[in-house]
Amino acid sequence: MIKDNQGIQYDYIVGEEKKLLELIKGPDIMPLLKSAVNAGAASAALVNAEGEILHQYGEADRAAGLIVSRPVYLEGEVAGQIVISGHKDRELLLNAVGELMFNALKIILQCNFKTILATETHKTVVYQSYEELLETNEKLKLSERKYRELAGSLEKQVQERTEDLKRAHAKLLHQEKLASVGQLAAGVAHEINNPLGFILSNINTLNQYFYKLKEMVFFYRTAMEKKDASGKYLEKSKQQWERLKLDFVFEDTDDLIRESLEGAGRVKKIVSDLKGFSHIDEAHKSDADINTEIDRTLSVLTHEIPQGVQIVKNYGELPPFSCNAAHICQAFYNILLNALQAGGAGLVIDIATQNANNMIKIKFSDNGPGIPDSIRDRIFEPFFTTKEVGTGTGMGLNVTYEIISSYQGTIEVESEVGKGTAFSILLPLPQKVKNV
Amino acid sequence: MIEYDEFENRMVLKLVYYGPALSGKTTNLLSLHDILDQEGRGDLTVLDTKDDRTIFFDLLPFFLTAPSGLKIKLKVFTVPGQVKHDATRKAVLQRADGVAFIADSQLSEETNNSESFGNLENNLEFVGLDIESIPLVIQFNKRDLKDTVSEENIVRTWGPTGIPVVLSSAIMGQGVVETFSRLVELTYDRIDTKHLLEKNHGLDKNMFIQKITGRNLNEAVFKDKRNMTAGY
Repeated sequence: MIKDNQGIQYDYIVGEEKKLLELIKGPDIMPLLKSAVNAGAASAALVNAEGEILHQYGEADRAAGLIVSRPVYLEGEVAGQIVISGHKDRELLLNAVGELMFNALKIILQCNFKTILATETHKTVVYQSYEELLETNEKLKLSERKYRELAGSLEKQVQERTEDLKRAHAKLLHQEKLASVGQLAAGVAHEINNPLGFILSNINTLNQYFYKLKEMVFFYRTAMEKKDASGKYLEKSKQQWERLKLDFVFEDTDDLIRESLEGAGRVKKIVSDLKGFSHIDEAHKSDADINTEIDRTLSVLTHEIPQGVQIVKNYGELPPFSCNAAHICQAFYNILLNALQAGGAGLVIDIATQNANNMIKIKFSDNGPGIPDSIRDRIFEPFFTTKEVGTGTGMGLNVTYEIISSYQGTIEVESEVGKGTAFSILLPLPQKVKNV
Repeated sequence: MIEYDEFENRMVLKLVYYGPALSGKTTNLLSLHDILDQEGRGDLTVLDTKDDRTIFFDLLPFFLTAPSGLKIKLKVFTVPGQVKHDATRKAVLQRADGVAFIADSQLSEETNNSESFGNLENNLEFVGLDIESIPLVIQFNKRDLKDTVSEENIVRTWGPTGIPVVLSSAIMGQGVVETFSRLVELTYDRIDTKHLLEKNHGLDKNMFIQKITGRNLNEAVFKDKRNMTAGY
C-alpha cells in the first residue's frame, strides 16, 4: 500500500483496467463532437459499453432517423461507441464523419492511455523506491546503532581486559615476591641449620660432660669428708665451695643447658617450619594435612602474635588434601595476619576445622573490630586496602580468594563491626571413585 | 492476476516478458503484434523508449469473451532489462500470471542471462510470487547470430528443470508465437485449476489459445519442430 504526499492511498497495479471515462475527458472529445455537428450532423455522442452517454453535443434529430456508429476499442476490447445522428440525406457525410472520429479517437485514446500508464507507473516506481529508501535507511540506522554499541562496549571490554592484565601482573609480581621470599627463607634456614646442628649437638655433649664432672666433684667431696679427721681441709673446702657458689652453679648450669637446648630446639622448629611454609622443596601438589599447615602458618606468624592474644584451636580429623601446601599456607597466612594486625588487646582467634559432606570446612573467627558493611563487598578485590599507603598491597585477601578458588573452593566472610569477623572456607574433596 | 471481478464477470491476466537488457523482449512483442492479427488483439503500446532501450515497458493486450460471457483480458508486458530499472521491473512483475524469460543466446551474454534470471527469482519473491509454481517459459533468442550457446548446452542445463525452452529469432519472427503460446497454455492450466474456465465458463484450452493467438494449439505450439528442445 502506497500513500502519496496528501496521505491518499495509492495502490496501483501496472496493468490495472481503465474506464473509458478516465481516458477520454471532455476537453479531448468535445471539439471532435462539435466539429461533427458543425460538419452537418444533428448530434454526436460518446457512449460506453453499457450504452450510457458519456459526452454529447447537439440534439438528436429523431425525425431524421439516421444513426451512424463506430466502435471505440480499448486494449482490444470494444469499450464504447461513437454515435452520430443526422438527416438520412446526409448518410455519406455522416459515415465520413464517423470514420474520421473513429480514427481521431483512436489516436487520442492511445495517447492518453500511454500518458496515464506512464504517469502511474512512474508514481508507483517513485513511491516504491521511496519506500525502499526508507527501509534501507531504517536498516542503516539499525546497523549504525549496532556498530556504535559495539564501539562503546569495545571501550568497556578494553578496560576490563586492561584490569585483568593489571590483576594478573600484580598477582605474578606477588607470586614472584613470595617465591623469592621462600627461596631466601630456605637459604637462610639452610645456613642456620648447619651451625644450629653442631650447637645442639655440642650442648648435648656438654650436658653429659658436665653431669660426669658434677658426679666426680661430689665424689671427691664425700671422700674428703670421710678422710679429713681434723676437719681443716673440710672447712677450707666448704669455704671455697661457698665462695664459688657451687651449689648455685650446679643448679643454674642445669637450667642454662636446659634452656639453651630448648632455645636451640625452638630455632630448629622455626627453621623447619619456615622451610615447610615456603615448601621450596615441593613445588607440586602433594597430600597435605590442613591442620598441620595451619600450625605451620601460625608458627611462622609467631613474632606477629602479641602478648595476650589467645589462639583457640578446634581441629577436627581431616583427610589428606591434595594441594600445593605453600599456596594453602599463604591463603591462611593472609587471613591470620589481617586478624592479628586489626585486633587489639584481648584478641581471641578461633580456628575450627571439620570434615563434612566430602568437604573440608575451615573457619577463622576473631573478636576483632570487624569489617564495616560499606567495604565488606570489596575486601577480595585486588588492590583494595584499608592500610596506610605503602603498608598494604591490597593483594592479601585477593590472593587468598584466588588460591581457594583454584581448588574449586569457596570463601565467605561474616562480620559485624565491634564484634568480630569470621572467614569460612570450604574446600571440596575429590569425588571418591567407587570400584565396582 | 490483475483482477477478477465476479460481479462484472471480468478477469484481467498479466504475462511478463523478462530478461537481460537487449535480449529482444520488445522485439518479441513487436513480432507478435505483426504476426497475430485476429480480433481482440489490441494495439501495442510502447512506453518511452530511448536509443532502442525500454525505460518503462511495452504492453500488448488481448481480449476475448468466454462462452459463458466471462470477459478475459490478457495483458502482455515487457520489463526494462537494464539493471538500473529494477524498481520498474518489480512494479511490472506484481501479480503476474506467467513469465517468459528471454535469454540472449550469444556466448558473450551468458553472465547477463544468469544475473537477470537471479534478479527474476529475487523480484518474484519480492512481489510474493513462487518461482516453483508460476508458469514459466524460457526463450533462447537470437539463434540467427553466430557465436551462440549450443543447443546441447541449453538442453543439458535446462532439460532437467522441466521448464519449457524455445529457440527463437524474434527479429525473423521465429519461435515468437511458440514461446507466447506455450506460456498462454501453461497460464491457462494454472487459471483453469482455480477458476474452472472449462467447467464453469465453457472455455477449454484449445479455445483459449485459438482466441488469443488465432491458431489452434498444435499449430501454435508445434508448428516449427526445429525449435523444440528436450525441455518439452
